[in-house]
Amino acid sequence: MSDASEVDTLITDTADRLFSQLCDHESIQKAEADGQASDIWSAFADTGFPWISISEESGGSGGTLLDALEVLRLVGYHAAPIPAAETGILGGWLMSSAGLELPSGIVTVLPNGSQGLAVERTGDRLTISGRGLRVPWARVAETIVVPLEIDGQTFAAAIDSSECQISRMTNMAGEPRDTVDFENVDVFAAVLPSEINLETFRFRGALSRTALMAGAIEKMSQLTVSYTNDRVQFGRPVAKFQAVQQHLVWGAQDAALARMAAESAGREANRGPALFEIAAAKLIANQASARATKACHQAHGAMGMTQEYPLHHLSRRLWSWRKEYGGDAEWSSWLGRVAVAQDADGLYPLITGGSAVLS
Amino acid sequence: MSDLNEEDIRSALDMVLERRNADTRLTTMGAGSDDLDAGRRYLASTVTQGWHVPAWPSEHGGRNASVSQNALIGRVLREFIVPDLYPFAIGLGMVGPALLAHGTQSQQNEWLRSIASGASIWCQMFSEPEAGSDLANVALQAKQDGEEWILEGQKTWTSRAMWADWAICLARTDPGQPKHKGLTMFALPMSLPGVQIRPLMQMNRDAHFSEVFVDDAHLKDEWRVGEVGEGWRVAMTVLAHERAGGGSRGGGDGGAKGRRIPSWISDLRLSDNDQSTVTSDAIMSLYSHDSVSRWTAQRAADEARSSGAPGPAGSGAKLRTVQSYKGRSYLTNRVSGAHGMLEEGHGYIEVMTAPSMSIRGGTDEIQRNILGERVLGLPGEPRLDREVPWKDSRRGLI
Repeated sequence: MSDASEVDTLITDTADRLFSQLCDHESIQKAEADGQASDIWSAFADTGFPWISISEESGGSGGTLLDALEVLRLVGYHAAPIPAAETGILGGWLMSSAGLELPSGIVTVLPNGSQGLAVERTGDRLTISGRGLRVPWARVAETIVVPLEIDGQTFAAAIDSSECQISRMTNMAGEPRDTVDFENVDVFAAVLPSEINLETFRFRGALSRTALMAGAIEKMSQLTVSYTNDRVQFGRPVAKFQAVQQHLVWGAQDAALARMAAESAGREANRGPALFEIAAAKLIANQASARATKACHQAHGAMGMTQEYPLHHLSRRLWSWRKEYGGDAEWSSWLGRVAVAQDADGLYPLITGGSAVLS
Repeated sequence: MSDLNEEDIRSALDMVLERRNADTRLTTMGAGSDDLDAGRRYLASTVTQGWHVPAWPSEHGGRNASVSQNALIGRVLREFIVPDLYPFAIGLGMVGPALLAHGTQSQQNEWLRSIASGASIWCQMFSEPEAGSDLANVALQAKQDGEEWILEGQKTWTSRAMWADWAICLARTDPGQPKHKGLTMFALPMSLPGVQIRPLMQMNRDAHFSEVFVDDAHLKDEWRVGEVGEGWRVAMTVLAHERAGGGSRGGGDGGAKGRRIPSWISDLRLSDNDQSTVTSDAIMSLYSHDSVSRWTAQRAADEARSSGAPGPAGSGAKLRTVQSYKGRSYLTNRVSGAHGMLEEGHGYIEVMTAPSMSIRGGTDEIQRNILGERVLGLPGEPRLDREVPWKDSRRGLI
């Protein structure tokens, strides 16, 4: 790997090519109907993509968090129906950070950690009971990771999915978000380094969604520009009408905004704690996706409402991802609390310095 | 017929309909529902005394009601359970009034009563792949052949096509005329040989939105509505009634009499939402917007009823009503938190349907153009194809 602050373009070009070949409209439709896309996943996993940013010593593919986030951006851009974030920078990250051996199959995580679960400890064994909600792709996962806190320490528990009861649920985009029930499941949990806790895990989840959203908004904007240039009404392409151009500009602005926010949060997270940048980036991506989906749907007219046209693969994902790992209210409140905690002279340094000022 | 007072209307309606209460939930514009029976039962039980379309002649399923009587019946109807009449809305709200304005006596005799009673469903075959907002660009051709017309072409975005018995179909009869002038309107039986329907699945999983292919369909001249070459005028009547929302009276999620809190707000309380002041503020501003929208829509509908011809007020009403629907669905979904991202989540159908509201029945942009040009007198959009024969303008002018 080259300079750790640069994205390895060899990796991202390869990922982009792979998704361009595999994630066509029909494959995404089919994945939604089937509840999984095993062929797309196999091709993705065969090249080691899911484990980028996890060191080779831990069984990963090496590379930086920036590389992994760039791949996630492409997952969002192509609406690739695969658990890339869960297996890699979320579940894989927790497991490797706790020194657990990575499985070869799909890994997923409980987005809310051990919240709502009953955890009993006997010696170094743990027993888990309760229900995990909206667990991405649990139905196809080999391992389900639960970050949990016991006596002020955070552990990663890796659970064989065959030991859980999984009920199929889906998000608005038709991606699996299953309900997972644990009934007195014995698990082995390994302690995580002190910088990883339930809060930092939530930020990591938000960072993953921000990268996905930045990609999806960008593709949506491009799709809309191209459609409105092809669609002729009143004797000219509809993109020539000012009212339509306004929609196009909203889409393009929001694509640029979300990508910029995602990239700066990623750069900061690659260096160290990046709570402020991630909170801001997720909020920006949430709001950008609300505006951009509205504008892009409107510019497409009736065509964009049909399942035969691919716009909905992107817009429905954005509506769902906007709610994952913190909706607008959660991140607004967090940022508000942090800003209020600075004194008046501290506000500007916070905005310019970000997390570096907070630590 | 002399006018009834409010109490008379209420007791007459009590004989045939059930009162609405706070728990009454109805779909909006057919979203997520294929239920034809509820509407059919309602129309069948109200047609004898003409309660649903009071202004229509009594022999056609109305009760010859005056403008003020019609409005009063509309208000009282809101106290009763009126199902979502989405499947019947084209016939009741658009084709019916257009037939009263442009149809012959025998056409009115043949079609109106079955529309009012729910016995026949109509759809609107207007849009085509190349004629959406630019409706006057329709290419579906009708050629006269003796006493018959032969139709050939394709329509799209035809809501309700697979339920429909009849369509009101805009066709090009003279390609040598400028685009608005060479059009003629027909009534077309959907069972006619040569008519094929292909449902298009929508993002919200509804399939009552179709492509209709017409291949060598033979129509009787007596099914022509209005004069040859007058199709655009008839289409404008149909669309003006669509915007004025004539078909949707009583339906939707309007407030029942005496209810303080609309159902969409009480539903918010049921969900796992945050009770912050930010949420309360959003709810209150939406509530005000929603109330004003409802009054605006009622005023537009009343104006349309009293003048007999709906004007541009319908465009303003449509814009506000749509904005209100979208605002409600987004807020409902937002406050339901992470659970709201699931298909099973609160307001899923509404979120998936919301974007279409600003598109169907004339986009927001088209409605604003109408308001700009006809209310504010602003200069119109440049019309490049004004006097150009339609056949010469097909490939786009710039």
